[in-house]
Amino acid sequence: MLNIYFGPMEEAVYNTAAYFQYDYEDGWITNPEVREMIRDVDQSVVLDSGVIDSPVLGKIPPVQLSGGVKTLILVKFEKDKIFNASTCGDNCAKWLLKIADQEDRTINLRHLMDFGKDRFTIRILNTNEIVHSMKELVSIAGNFV
Amino acid sequence: MKGIHKISVRAKRIRFDFTVRRNITVIRGDSATGKTTLVDMIRQHINNPSGSPVEVVCDKTCYVLEGALWESELGAIHDGIVFIDEGNAFVSSRDFAAAIQNTDNYYVIVTREGLNNLAYSTEEIYGIHSAGKYGSLQQTYNEFYRIYGEDVYTSSLRPDVVITEDTNSGYEFFSSVCGRNGTKCESAQGKSNMFRLAQQSQGHVLLVADGAAFGPQMDRIMKLIGENHTVSLYVPESFEWLILKSGLFSDHRVGTILKNPADYIESSQYLSWERFFTALLVRESHGTYLEYNKRKLNPNYLKKNAIERIIAVMDKIDLG
Repeated sequence: MLNIYFGPMEEAVYNTAAYFQYDYEDGWITNPEVREMIRDVDQSVVLDSGVIDSPVLGKIPPVQLSGGVKTLILVKFEKDKIFNASTCGDNCAKWLLKIADQEDRTINLRHLMDFGKDRFTIRILNTNEIVHSMKELVSIAGNFV
Repeated sequence: MKGIHKISVRAKRIRFDFTVRRNITVIRGDSATGKTTLVDMIRQHINNPSGSPVEVVCDKTCYVLEGALWESELGAIHDGIVFIDEGNAFVSSRDFAAAIQNTDNYYVIVTREGLNNLAYSTEEIYGIHSAGKYGSLQQTYNEFYRIYGEDVYTSSLRPDVVITEDTNSGYEFFSSVCGRNGTKCESAQGKSNMFRLAQQSQGHVLLVADGAAFGPQMDRIMKLIGENHTVSLYVPESFEWLILKSGLFSDHRVGTILKNPADYIESSQYLSWERFFTALLVRESHGTYLEYNKRKLNPNYLKKNAIERIIAVMDKIDLG
């Protein structure tokens, strides 16, 4: 399940791009699910662990991936850390749900990410309530951002 | 700094063209739209004056502010446009809000957070989208789009409850207007309380806030509206702007200023535009029967002619 703490959270890693730069591993980039994330969010193709083909920037290293994808990769592989996922746009929301569907994850959000119209399961840690729709999420989480 | 400034940031593969109009502009939106790339390109340009493949075309110097030494670096920047990428936690601090007071720069901040210590406009929150390829180099051309402002009412709206951000003159005015037809009117006593009050109210709720400074609340309020069709938001620049716009003051100069406020509002003097409109109204009304006081509404604004003129500015909103 995806657990979210809304609002400022001291123990969360705020600058996820800086964290990613000295933390990512080659094997993470070639992971099949990460390849798919990069294709979906960044519209880019992983050529190997150190080179990604971006339609806009050309051949780039992993540190030049979007801030959103870098945070998704950290959430996927650094499961004991809590990251500031407000570095992710709404186009990352489905991936956060997918990662947490396989194994529980906790993230920090400082804005109201749009998790879409489909039913989902998210625990709001501020109140320890489980929500299944944006209507439920907004009514609770809106008080903390 | 005052005025509207066009900025073009270009390299072989990518180009951004956009305009900044006020002292704070916020960029947010989906991942992978080029926000960080834009800031990276400006950093590349400013840090390599002897030669950079990035060209920045603007009538003001563009800077990037970041890291632990932001405060001392900011002290050295004057009359510039300052870009701050996401990941810089200081943007949400009170220290930053205090540090940019009275500076003569414009600030472009990449963040999805509501920066509650800063007063920025609902109109100056943008996303970036690609507008296709540009020129023979297959350069990707990007531009800004306003995130809020598309969801406008096309038919008349008659609220059951009006909630104002204002506690003083603005609230007094709307309370009096609503009282004529039995519409409930409440003061939220500050913009940060509007979300909670809107949730608690029954019937169709109209939130009236100062658009010039309501930017930090827009994410949660617009999400609330998106999920709850009995809440609406009206964000004129400010209550004082409504009065100025109403034509109660026939001074030609007021009309000229309202057409292009950016040309008259010095950012070092007015952190957000609503303060300028208050000062302008106080000045224009001084010594007249409509002399304005923000703390206590002059009763002449509650006379039939004044009310009719002011609420006429509120297009599509029926307050009776």
